[in-house]
Amino acid sequence: MFRSHVSVTTIRQVVEINTKHRLFSPGKLTPGKRIVGSMRWESSTRPAPLLTATPVRTLVDEQTCIKASFLPSNHPVTVCARMRSDEGDLWQSFAHYNTNSSGMFNLNSDHSVGGSYSGCEPMGLFWSMQPAPGEREGLRLRKKCVESPYTVQISLLEGHVSPNQDPGKEVAAVTAERWYMSPGVKRQEIRQNGLVGTLFIPPGPGPFPAMLDMWGMGGGLPEYRSSLFASRGYASFCLAYVGHKDLPGPSNTVNVGDSYFKAAFQFLQEHSQISADRIGIVGLSYGCYLTLHTGTLPGVKPACLIGINGPVGSSRELLHVNVTTKKSDQDQVFWSFDDQGYIIFKQTSLPSNLHPESIVKLEEITCPLMYIVGEDDLSASSIENADLIEKTLRAAGKSHLFTRLSYPGAGHLIEPPYSPMSRASFWVIKPEKLMTLWGGHPAPHAAAQEDAWRKMLAFMELSLRR
Amino acid sequence: MDNSLQRVKLSVHPSRALVDEEFVILVQNVPPGSPMTLHALHCSEDGHRWEACGHYIADSSGSINAADDCSVGGSYLGVEPMGLLWSLKPVPGSKPGLRMRKKDVQTPMVVAISVFNGHHSEAFVDQVSLASWVVERWYMAPGVRRIPVTEQQLTGTLFLPPGPGPFPGLLDLWGGGGQLVEYRSALLASHGIASLALDYLTNEFTTQTGKMVDNQYFETAYRVLQQHPQVLGSRIAMLGLSLGSVFTLKMAVYSPVVKLRCAVCISGSHIQPVSGGPQEMMDLFTRNIEKINFSEQNEVIWRSLLLPVPSDPSMKADVGRLRCPLLLVVGEDDQNWCTQESAADMEQMMARAGNDHLLTILSYPETGHLIEPPYTPHTPSSMYRGAGVDQKMMVLWGGKTPEHSAAQEDSWRKILTFLKKNLYGGSDPQAIHRSHL
Repeated sequence: MFRSHVSVTTIRQVVEINTKHRLFSPGKLTPGKRIVGSMRWESSTRPAPLLTATPVRTLVDEQTCIKASFLPSNHPVTVCARMRSDEGDLWQSFAHYNTNSSGMFNLNSDHSVGGSYSGCEPMGLFWSMQPAPGEREGLRLRKKCVESPYTVQISLLEGHVSPNQDPGKEVAAVTAERWYMSPGVKRQEIRQNGLVGTLFIPPGPGPFPAMLDMWGMGGGLPEYRSSLFASRGYASFCLAYVGHKDLPGPSNTVNVGDSYFKAAFQFLQEHSQISADRIGIVGLSYGCYLTLHTGTLPGVKPACLIGINGPVGSSRELLHVNVTTKKSDQDQVFWSFDDQGYIIFKQTSLPSNLHPESIVKLEEITCPLMYIVGEDDLSASSIENADLIEKTLRAAGKSHLFTRLSYPGAGHLIEPPYSPMSRASFWVIKPEKLMTLWGGHPAPHAAAQEDAWRKMLAFMELSLRR
Repeated sequence: MDNSLQRVKLSVHPSRALVDEEFVILVQNVPPGSPMTLHALHCSEDGHRWEACGHYIADSSGSINAADDCSVGGSYLGVEPMGLLWSLKPVPGSKPGLRMRKKDVQTPMVVAISVFNGHHSEAFVDQVSLASWVVERWYMAPGVRRIPVTEQQLTGTLFLPPGPGPFPGLLDLWGGGGQLVEYRSALLASHGIASLALDYLTNEFTTQTGKMVDNQYFETAYRVLQQHPQVLGSRIAMLGLSLGSVFTLKMAVYSPVVKLRCAVCISGSHIQPVSGGPQEMMDLFTRNIEKINFSEQNEVIWRSLLLPVPSDPSMKADVGRLRCPLLLVVGEDDQNWCTQESAADMEQMMARAGNDHLLTILSYPETGHLIEPPYTPHTPSSMYRGAGVDQKMMVLWGGKTPEHSAAQEDSWRKILTFLKKNLYGGSDPQAIHRSHL
């Protein structure tokens, strides 16, 4: 790797021509200032401040090391990161650092003393991003097009400033790309046998282990977790089951049943590039219920199950076949609101509020199960559901199959790491949009995402490859 | 197929990198001691397939690391982390005389790396690999801006590094084949140097009027670079390969307009009609045409065209008058230009003039003429058409692949160091004359 600062360290004996704290200024630079006097000086300017991100093109779940050099020593600087979502919204973050005595700082080892995050956070600039002032409200960052990267502009500003109020001059910059797909991963839209989803296949002949990937009642078809699994060598099929134009029936109800999810699992089993006995299921929120439910359907033998912040059954008054996102009197019984009027769905998934017939027969599970809990989840009663799973499995003598990861301060939306979180955002709910409170606080939630992702991949490695 | 081999894991990191960056290839979960073949396949822009392979033996933990382990067969030998890239050769059955050059620098070069059971050197298409990985090799870092330059009758492309600037600048010249070759400039911009790739043989003016440009063309290009708001006008360098080095030296020594911080000449010479431009240089070649030789395979050897090194001062650039650091990169097996003899003569001239402290010569054994950015295939000979010439002929460039590839890697690193030292730091070379003692 060729670093541009490596060679120039030999020219450290420099004389600062202009005032002490003036950094490299653009405009006409006159080389070799003529110093009139009795002594001859070897004059030159310090090399321009340099900001690097290594590597500069990464997968979203990979770390990148941000460093700066050729700055004045023990000097305040601000690093600022900006990027645009697929919808065009501007997200940004910034942090305050002090350079060391050699005029350098490194996000891997130095501490932020202010800004969007504090402390030593190598990836803080990425996960602490928030919509810039003036952008739309209630945003949540989700990549729609997984084939293109996020382009993040990272810049270095002089002093401890807030980029929006008094940015000053940009002194150095680097552009980083964050990809959701590694080279060679193939993306296939699947619309066959009634199934609606997208299949991602890693490069190579296969056969590959696979994951069936489901999200929550927000519907649509989020592909970004599946594309990352494929980038890590697991074929992944993200399945739509509600709120998608290619699905039958009204978009605000679940109009597919057991046979649909079983067909999705069988589709993977029958795929020529997938190992039929190495297929797992993963789901977030309502997708977690579907994961557990599908995993215990007759004839479905998954190699592992991963549930994130979701219930073990469906809510009291409705069977899963007809769960509706439509606001109705019965629904509202379990909804609560905070001071700002944001909706908290948590009570809906309390085990005691779930329809008893819908509760998955967990004792019939025969494969390893990992359940991930965000302890500050305000959208699902994750802790209570996790307790129920643990209790049931212990009673059935199957607690060796159960892994529970629990993260204090983490909210409902535990997603691939180094992505910004939203404590609340607009969630599609007819007939009107409501701000939904997901829970979680940026720093602990980011730590949870990083740790959970690593453990999920290790769990998949163990269950699907050995 | 053996079941245990199905879980072979192959990874290449980083999977997206610049063309001059190293990667690490790791194979795991392979039976210890088993023979495995690493294979690379690349489909070039013009539709040709290139491949390379390395033969490895897995260690006792069942893994192979191309950065640590030796290749014991295939297209490269020894511990060569990047061997799969630099030893790429056209697949059997390809047209002879191919050369890999990226035209579109905004898209990456895509290479598929696979691992096979056993040691194989051919017929990879008929076999099923155990695992495969795809890597992208980019010529442009994120944020590098590509700007076509057509003002004042120039034909060129400017690549600006990402960031607010301003940046030191560089004028990038290629050789007698002409065309607008962008990939070296794109890489230099990815390293923080604003680079202007300039076409001076097949540029628009020449193709329209049939006349070659004169020396002012280079001065115009220098001025355009100097006056660009994001380029530091006082920190400009020039880099030339082959014929490009002729004009690099001409500008560095004689031009009243061009003031360089430093110059790099790769596989070039100072032998030229001092008072002439591109047309006069072409005439010089034409006059000496009977000095060409042919190899046993009927490949054209041009290295004697400019020999012997003239003693007439009007026939070579007076490098004794140089005031800026000069880096010469010499391939000792250069069959196309008399690079070695020219470098020796330049050294003598500068020693006599007392400015040889400005000179650095990098001389590489068994290295040919086309010394390019690293980890791209070596071309010992190829079908070549000089600018303005109708006929293509098979030209011998020289060099042996392993040594030439090592030279490309080493020289590129040293060229970057040299450029950065002189463009980002360093004292004003003019200051020597302003002693106030």
